[in-house]
Amino acid sequence: MSLVSGPGRAGGNALPDELQLVIEPHVKYIQSLDTRKDELEYWLTEHLRLNGLYWGLNALHLLNRPDALPRKETIDFVLSCQADNGGFGAAPGHDAHLLYTASAVQILAMVDGIGELEKRGKEGGAMAVGKYIADLQNRETGTFAGDEWGEEDTRFICCAFVGLSLLKLLNLVDLDKAVDYIVSCANFDGGYGVAPGAESHSGQIFACCAALTIARRLDKVDKDKLGMWLSERQVEGGGLNGRPEKLEDVCYSWWVSSSLSMIGRLHWIDGGKLSRFILNCQDPENGGLADRPGDMVDVFHTNFGLAGLALLEFDGLEEVDAAYCMPKKVVERVLGPEYYNYS
Amino acid sequence: MESLSDTKWDVLISGTGLQNSLLALALSRSGKKILHVDENVYYGGAEAAFSLQEVDEWLEKIQGDISSKPFRNASLWKAEASDGTAGLSFSRAYTLTLSPQIIYSRSKLLSNLVSSKVYRQLEFQAVGNWWIYDGETEASLRRLPNGREDISQDKSIDNRAKRSLMKFLKFVVNYENLTETWEPHADSGLAGFLSRKFQLSPSLQSVISALTLSFEPSDQIPVKWALPRIARHLTSIGVFGPGFGAVVPKWGGAAEISQVACRAGAVGGGVYVLGTGIKTSETVTEDGEQLSKVELSNGENVKTRRIVGKNTGHDLANLKSVSKIIAVVSSPLTSLFQSSIEGSPLAAVSVLVFPSKSLPEGTAQPNPVYIMVHSSETGECPSNQCVLYATTLKSDNSKAVLEAALSALLKSTEDDEGKLLYSLYYEQEQQASYASLDLAFNDEILQAVEDQWKTIMADDNGTLEGSFMQFEDREGMNNDDDDGDEGF
Amino acid sequence: MASHGVPRVAETAQRTEAQRLEEERQIREYRDLEELISAKIAERQYTLEVLELTSKLLKKNPEYYTIWNVRRRLLIYGLFSKPSDSSSHLTASPNSSLTDTTKASSENSSSSTITTSGASTTTPQNPAFPNRGRNGTTLDLIRGDLEFLFPIMVKYPKCYWLWNYRLWLLQEANESLESDIARELWNRELILVGKMLVKDSRNFHGWGYRRKVVSELESPKLGGRSMVESEFEYTTKMIHGDKGLSNFSAWHRRSKLIPRLLDERNASDETRRQFLDDEFELIISAMYTDSYPYQQSAWFYYQFLMTTLTDYVGHGSITPNFTPEDRAEYVTRQLVILKDMLDGAEDCKWIYNALIDYTMALCRMEERKPDLDERQDCATWLAELRKLDPDRSGRWDDLEKSLRD
Repeated sequence: MSLVSGPGRAGGNALPDELQLVIEPHVKYIQSLDTRKDELEYWLTEHLRLNGLYWGLNALHLLNRPDALPRKETIDFVLSCQADNGGFGAAPGHDAHLLYTASAVQILAMVDGIGELEKRGKEGGAMAVGKYIADLQNRETGTFAGDEWGEEDTRFICCAFVGLSLLKLLNLVDLDKAVDYIVSCANFDGGYGVAPGAESHSGQIFACCAALTIARRLDKVDKDKLGMWLSERQVEGGGLNGRPEKLEDVCYSWWVSSSLSMIGRLHWIDGGKLSRFILNCQDPENGGLADRPGDMVDVFHTNFGLAGLALLEFDGLEEVDAAYCMPKKVVERVLGPEYYNYS
Repeated sequence: MESLSDTKWDVLISGTGLQNSLLALALSRSGKKILHVDENVYYGGAEAAFSLQEVDEWLEKIQGDISSKPFRNASLWKAEASDGTAGLSFSRAYTLTLSPQIIYSRSKLLSNLVSSKVYRQLEFQAVGNWWIYDGETEASLRRLPNGREDISQDKSIDNRAKRSLMKFLKFVVNYENLTETWEPHADSGLAGFLSRKFQLSPSLQSVISALTLSFEPSDQIPVKWALPRIARHLTSIGVFGPGFGAVVPKWGGAAEISQVACRAGAVGGGVYVLGTGIKTSETVTEDGEQLSKVELSNGENVKTRRIVGKNTGHDLANLKSVSKIIAVVSSPLTSLFQSSIEGSPLAAVSVLVFPSKSLPEGTAQPNPVYIMVHSSETGECPSNQCVLYATTLKSDNSKAVLEAALSALLKSTEDDEGKLLYSLYYEQEQQASYASLDLAFNDEILQAVEDQWKTIMADDNGTLEGSFMQFEDREGMNNDDDDGDEGF
Repeated sequence: MASHGVPRVAETAQRTEAQRLEEERQIREYRDLEELISAKIAERQYTLEVLELTSKLLKKNPEYYTIWNVRRRLLIYGLFSKPSDSSSHLTASPNSSLTDTTKASSENSSSSTITTSGASTTTPQNPAFPNRGRNGTTLDLIRGDLEFLFPIMVKYPKCYWLWNYRLWLLQEANESLESDIARELWNRELILVGKMLVKDSRNFHGWGYRRKVVSELESPKLGGRSMVESEFEYTTKMIHGDKGLSNFSAWHRRSKLIPRLLDERNASDETRRQFLDDEFELIISAMYTDSYPYQQSAWFYYQFLMTTLTDYVGHGSITPNFTPEDRAEYVTRQLVILKDMLDGAEDCKWIYNALIDYTMALCRMEERKPDLDERQDCATWLAELRKLDPDRSGRWDDLEKSLRD
């Protein structure tokens, strides 16, 4: 699975007055990604292959086409990315990292393949993956490193919680400490940054809100302040930016609106305008979405654009879970119906 | 080498001022055979730059010729070499330019110099701080705000005025699309317009007017003339780096560009002859083609298809003249060169504006005075000295006004202990257009060059081929402000 | 990410055969290089030659994180421990005088620099040469590597892996080099990150890196002292610099430095009050100046200052000893200023929003219900908000509800 950008371009031809979601071209676009091995960019983006598979697969699930990629090959590829230490790399032979480990678990969850880990994964099965993740927790501060080299970032707490919770191994880590750490990253504007002291950033806010959602600790969020800051991310044209005074970008359609959703403030922005912005980022003929109208499409923006639309309950898309960025159906199947009944 | 007369020239250009030099460059790059002559023994014409010795020679010529153009009434004063303080250095330590001009970052001249590759031989320096003189305040030199951030910090402007000023600035950078605001007032004076439409105080009116570099007082600057100039100033800031909006070429400003253009013109096949002018010319027909037969002042006869002469035939009634002083001061005047913004280069040129009637009592000052202060970084004087270029519209007492402005400047920078070492006064009459006197390079000149180039190229080819100076973008000149890419 | 802000290119025909062949050649070259490195690493060839190969690959693709990891292993398990002459041609800096003055470290450390307990299976657990940390070689290598990184960072200023690797390299310097030499390296980083922030004053990698560099320079292990004063001064300069008023990153950093700044100044209550007044003056002037077009950054910083008065959690940060009356007085004064600001800026939604927020906050602080005037004012302001900012009508609905309660 690749995330080579192009060949499509968003809004290539004038869309009809009534903007439509072009499902079939998106499906074909995602299916075509792995056939582009004759392009240099395919190889230059190998370090994102597993993420790319998750983005593409999730997009297909949201489009109600979960079988558009072959299940067995998908599982084979995921398992081929596992390193001896239990974690997953971006592609076979690449070093393990939390970013890809979380994607691997999400993909397996989506294709109902977590059981395959026990059978065909590295020794220890799911537990080996859980241990890999748990070992990355800094037991003093509660935060997580991305890999053995120690870089810490609130994104990694989210990755760890997503991975561990889907494997039902959250008990391996110190949740309270991690939550305290997230709280220490909160800023006066209600947002969160990469580390204590860092500026609020929508991507990081998503990571922190998702981690707090999974840990059932959203009570720690100053929802009105954060909601205000997040709602101000919507710009004139309907799109969302990541920080004050920046350009809008389709990926923030997800980071911002999912965060608003998690804190119960999604209605604080204009969903109709946002939908139109996202739809304008489609390539209506060749499929795929770009960061902004007129730019090259890629699978990253395709996923997060569609996920944004799904969050806005756009017609024809599967319901999406705001914290996991996966179909609610999948989350419910893996975690049980009680997950959504929790209050 | 072939003699000049063996060649049939496409164009004979007389005079190596900036405009002619750029034309010669453009034509020679388009494959024309160019003979470029100048009756002076130096390049640059009215934009020439001189050592002290060369100034003396020039002065002698001007003073000996009552009808000399465009310069007149030149006189020189030098400080007595006395009391052991450092005085003037040797002649070649100075490069004094007769028509100093700043070049705004957004001027087409710069993109043309880039696309024609001529810029590689030039070194540009920042024109940084702008100062406005206000004889009534204690600190009589006030730094002009250099954009939004400076305005915010300026404690002399109250908050409401800041907002009014920002409203005006927002308007002016987009004035072309906001015609309803200004067109009814297009010919009114700027000061009144600023007061009525934007509630700007007299002091802010002076600030805004200063940015036009107009020789007229602010109530006489037509709005339609002022707005593009103010917009040019504002939109130029930050284009090449933080904190400045204009540049000057090192080693003598426009003279340097002329020379570099001539050198490039020569590389492109042009032939240059200095100390030689056109004596007579007559039209002859040869092989069915009309040619000019020209006798040069060195006695040679040449044939050319076309002559671009020195500018002639303008309406004498509307001619403007300015008075100028080039002064050398015994101090680097460091207080005028401040870098207030993170990452901005230290400026080599500061601009001082004395609005009309701002000089102390006793000096009738009908018009604004501008002083461009060039630090030694410009290569125009030794370190620890400065070159000051003062200009005002010529009037009965313009010499006294310039002298008063210079002494007011030295007084308000007293901590720097600068003393006047050298002062060259002269008057300069406009040539083809007002643009020749402008203190900032006026793109009209470039337009004139392009028009001349087009005419010549179209006449000869029937159609226009190639493009003038080959416009193309230089890497890094475009703003890179597209930063949505902070992916997760 | 794959293609942020890549503009649509002109409609082009299919690649020509020549282009296809050229791309094929490039792919082959790239993959051959990848395989070559992989093969050499499998043989544990931790040599300069392989280091150069990784340089070649990383210049083509700095996002290739595994290769950065290979580079780390090459250094710590191989090259840092080789005799110094082997590194001479790698040193990019012609100035090697520092090398001569350094002494061999007495520490014979084989401890892992890995900060978490996880360990890569591809990393040999016992370094072949345990005498790593000889200052000369290590310093040359680190300096060479820092210089190798710089142009790539300028080209790819938003690549996470580059910033991480650079930081790791400098932390290696802390482990292996004399502290004064390590400190010198960190000092240069402060200059470097200053330059990066001049190029892009909002790069959050840059700001994060600056935070880390400063905290290293402040740390006792490098003989550091607090830099809170100079850092605060830096934010002032950034705010006053190009596009500074809209530089939320700089305002944010300022908000974080202030509490420490005042503590370290041992500021008296009077000084703190004055400080707060000055900050208000600064930001109000910015709000006036930055109001066309209406920008957000100044308003968020204003929110920060107000938070220190209105929010229980924020009280400690600037004026901890303010009485409830002091705080109410300040908020009241700000409400007057905001109302005044409205005159001539009736289309500025931020003012209405702030007026409502702080009127309500004042009531909460005074533990009372809003009086009739306040209720009417809030209703008027809310109506303006709805008019000026219909996109956020859901928020105004909720605000209306909360005003009613």
